Amino acid sequence: MDARLRRVNKEIADCKNDKTSNIKIELIDESPFHLKGSFPGPEGTPYEGGHFEVDIVIPDSYPFQPVKMKFITKVYHPNVSSASGAICLDILKDAWSPVLTLKSTLISLQSLLCSPEPNDPQDAEVAKHYTTSKNSFDDTAIYWTQIYAGGPGPKKKGKASVVQESSRDEIAIAGLERAHVEQFEALGFEKSKVVR
Amino acid sequence: MSSDYEISDDDESYYYDDEDMMDGTQDDEEDIDMADFGDDFRVAPKSKRKSYELDYDSLTQKAVEQLMESDVDYICGIFGVETSTAALLLRHMSWNKERLIELYMDNPSKILVAAGVTVEEPSAQGAAIRSHSSTSSGRRPTRSASKLLGMGSGSKSPKPTHNLALTKAPKPPKPIPFVCPICYDDSPDLRQLSLDCEHCFCSGCWTAYVGSKINDEAEHDIRCMAEGCTLATPDTFVRAILMSPTVDHEEQAANAATWARFQELLVRHFVASNPNLKYCPYPSCTNTVSCPSASSKASLTTIVPVVSCGARGIAGSSQGSSLGSKEHKFCFGCAIESDHRPVVCGVAKLWLKKCRDDSETANWIKSNTKECPKCMSTIEKNGGCNHMTCKKCKHDFCWVCMGPWSEHGTSWYSCNRYDEKGGSDARDAQSRSRASLERYLHYYNRWANHEQSAKLSVELYAKTEKKMEDMQITSSLTWIEVQFMKKAVEEVEKCRTTLKWTYAMAYYLAKGNEKELFEDNQRDLERAVEDLSELLESPIEAENIPTMRQQVTDKTVYVQNRNEIVLADTAAGFVEGRWKWDVQVEGFDAPEGPDY
Ligand SMILES: [Zn+2]
Ligand SMILES: [Zn+2]
Ligand SMILES: [Zn+2]
Ligand SMILES: [Zn+2]
Ligand SMILES: [Zn+2]
Ligand SMILES: [Zn+2]
Repeated sequence: MDARLRRVNKEIADCKNDKTSNIKIELIDESPFHLKGSFPGPEGTPYEGGHFEVDIVIPDSYPFQPVKMKFITKVYHPNVSSASGAICLDILKDAWSPVLTLKSTLISLQSLLCSPEPNDPQDAEVAKHYTTSKNSFDDTAIYWTQIYAGGPGPKKKGKASVVQESSRDEIAIAGLERAHVEQFEALGFEKSKVVR
Repeated sequence: MSSDYEISDDDESYYYDDEDMMDGTQDDEEDIDMADFGDDFRVAPKSKRKSYELDYDSLTQKAVEQLMESDVDYICGIFGVETSTAALLLRHMSWNKERLIELYMDNPSKILVAAGVTVEEPSAQGAAIRSHSSTSSGRRPTRSASKLLGMGSGSKSPKPTHNLALTKAPKPPKPIPFVCPICYDDSPDLRQLSLDCEHCFCSGCWTAYVGSKINDEAEHDIRCMAEGCTLATPDTFVRAILMSPTVDHEEQAANAATWARFQELLVRHFVASNPNLKYCPYPSCTNTVSCPSASSKASLTTIVPVVSCGARGIAGSSQGSSLGSKEHKFCFGCAIESDHRPVVCGVAKLWLKKCRDDSETANWIKSNTKECPKCMSTIEKNGGCNHMTCKKCKHDFCWVCMGPWSEHGTSWYSCNRYDEKGGSDARDAQSRSRASLERYLHYYNRWANHEQSAKLSVELYAKTEKKMEDMQITSSLTWIEVQFMKKAVEEVEKCRTTLKWTYAMAYYLAKGNEKELFEDNQRDLERAVEDLSELLESPIEAENIPTMRQQVTDKTVYVQNRNEIVLADTAAGFVEGRWKWDVQVEGFDAPEGPDY
């Protein structure tokens, strides 16, 4: 059997059998080389409670060339493009090693959510937000987690009131795209609830 | 991967700089090295050099490899290390021997770690190597040369790697059974290999990994596959992986090609590290040109370092065709992959950029059809000659300026010189900008035309060869005796390249006597070329062949001389600092006066 196929099949099986980890890898279609990974947002971060999905493409020369991964779920994070989901992480580039696996790479993504690297940003705007105003950044990241990753939203006390202003920039502060807000409005939510 | 190594003191001296290469000791050494190789490695013997031509050498890949070997031997001799260790160290330092010796004397283990020769002792001080996650298997740093486990190379005991070599602890027995941590193969007959770090992987994974690095990434710096392990694969290891016999012949051939590619990458890296050398840019050519006199930026204001690697032909084209025998000419000083004499690199670059930026406006000129200025019937250009005769009304005119051809022979008419009058009369901004576009188009028009004509000379070659065959039949001339036709076509093509670039030069030359003299030479060459070009395209009648042969030969010699004059005088002007520009050109003085 093709060495790449054998390895990927084993990786998928190992991940399935591992009951202790919370990393999931599923097929998207019949191909074992285009997969979907997912994991819960790490506790104690603005991503807590969210469910994050990752698009996985396995290149021909895998595992000797790195796997290609990007977020399907929108993430508000300095090292993740807010538009495309592209990820800036060394092990996906020159620090890749063939002994790394899909699972270990997904774990690295999960820990990237815990420890952003604003000095090596993928999204300059988000990185600037992170370095200039950490509280406000956290608020936006929590909203994104709520809207896009099914998170619980802001805790009742404190933080939420910071973004209560009703200026027309509120959407921008929340970092949401207008289209998404309109989508929610169309579903019957009041705008003020979507962009609190 | 090499980023672990920090250049602590001054970055500048880490790499060569212009001055070093101009008169450093390194230079002298290499000159001696080159001389030692003798003619076996010179690709083409040098014919006598013109005043505007440079001294340079063409080196085959093998010759460059010998230069690399002598550097490696030199370092081996000083440090007392193995060949593959010296090679890794030199590559890490971009082949800067002096700097390598300095750093090695200062702190050998630091540079050995950075180059991937050894992994750092856990207790050692100095630069920390990248931390690695718990997923990587335990690694036990050692300090000897790499070895191939289970590959039958154990008979040769490795020499001490460097002067810090320690006694090695006896190896613990391998844990059995072995499962390759990459492909998860656990067959008992699996061959396992490791570097000194003893991160074991199966031979199939090593081959695939090394192949992917070399072929997919064009990378010669290959490190261990274990996560965070910075140990580099010595050449002996790469060779053993790729060149060991396999059952599958196809696989063996692919591996051999990968090994050849690896060696080419090493040569390319060496050449790129040395400003005296440049790799031939022609596809699948592996020659290198050595031209120390053009290695500094400063030299490029006085010379146009057009060189030829000595090889001919473009991959994929047949030997007999004009492409099949095309000389590998390129500029040593810039990225232009052809002859841009007489104009210096800086001006050539400016001009090409302008042409790119203004390509929209100028596109219409490039079209290959025009209308006869008299009867307006469509005329297609098919040869390189600019003397057009309308098939319908028999009007003779110039393809470039569309003026009557009859005026081109007279001394007062110059097709090549732009009449600045219109420009200086312009009062308002709009007519000034129209005038400036017109001025540009004047030069661009002629530039593009010569380029087009030179391209059409491929057709002319074919036609000429046919004529040469006919001549042998209709006259008593032998094959050798009809070569004058081919020579003439070659000369015309060469001169059109010169002419083309003279228009780029004239566009930027500041007004004045020097420019006028330049344009006189340009005009004389242009006329001579058009004359010869016309003669070559005229029909041949059997009874005229002896006269025609004489005419063509004479005109070829004349054209050759005119071309010599343009090239030699322009080159001399650069050396004398005679040429002044009306724009700022890299390396030249700022233009005088606000003329434009
Ligand atoms: Zn393997
Ligand atoms: Zn290793
Ligand atoms: Zn070449
Ligand atoms: Zn050049
Ligand atoms: Zn006509
Ligand atoms: Zn003309």
